Amino acid sequence: MDQANQQVESAPQPAPVEPEAMNMVATLGICSAGWLIPGLAHILIGRWIRGLIFAASVLLMFALGLGMHGKLYDLEFDEPLHVFAFIANIGTGIPYWIAERFNLGIGTMTWPSYDYGTTYLWVCGLLNYLIVLDAFDIAQGRKP
Amino acid sequence: MILSHFTALVIFALIVSTVFALITKNEPREQFRYGVFVFLSFLAVAFVVGWIMYPLPL
Repeated sequence: MDQANQQVESAPQPAPVEPEAMNMVATLGICSAGWLIPGLAHILIGRWIRGLIFAASVLLMFALGLGMHGKLYDLEFDEPLHVFAFIANIGTGIPYWIAERFNLGIGTMTWPSYDYGTTYLWVCGLLNYLIVLDAFDIAQGRKP
Repeated sequence: MILSHFTALVIFALIVSTVFALITKNEPREQFRYGVFVFLSFLAVAFVVGWIMYPLPL
């Protein structure tokens, strides 16, 4: 009986399946796509539902930020601290440039929800950076 | 569009907690629990900070 138990215990266990890592060029291409169009990186990896939820979250937040008359920042060299706001804003990718093209992110300081709108616009860009990093980890096999 | 401060806070907390939950957890059950935790934490902290600031002469 003991011998049988030992045999069962010493039987080779199936190795845990490790996710395959993509090559770095493909990973960076996918991450770039995810930066330009929020959620696209996860969709390209095959995580459809996750990608669609991310896209909806970021784009909804961006639209609400613009709707609340928030401000989108440009790269202005005479105001060095605005660089941080600019970096946060461009995290949204193509929607940022579309909004800039149509003068949607001018920002009305006298509008009651101006501060909230501007914060929404910063945070949706920063969230998209996190989403791209998540896609990078998945593509590199570091995360299931 | 004019949202009240509380509505803007709730929408903000909802979206951010959804993204945080999906990024940090892998199992759907864990994601849901963590998302609810983060969402409620946002609201709780906002209430507490709001009441702390209430008597201040701003």
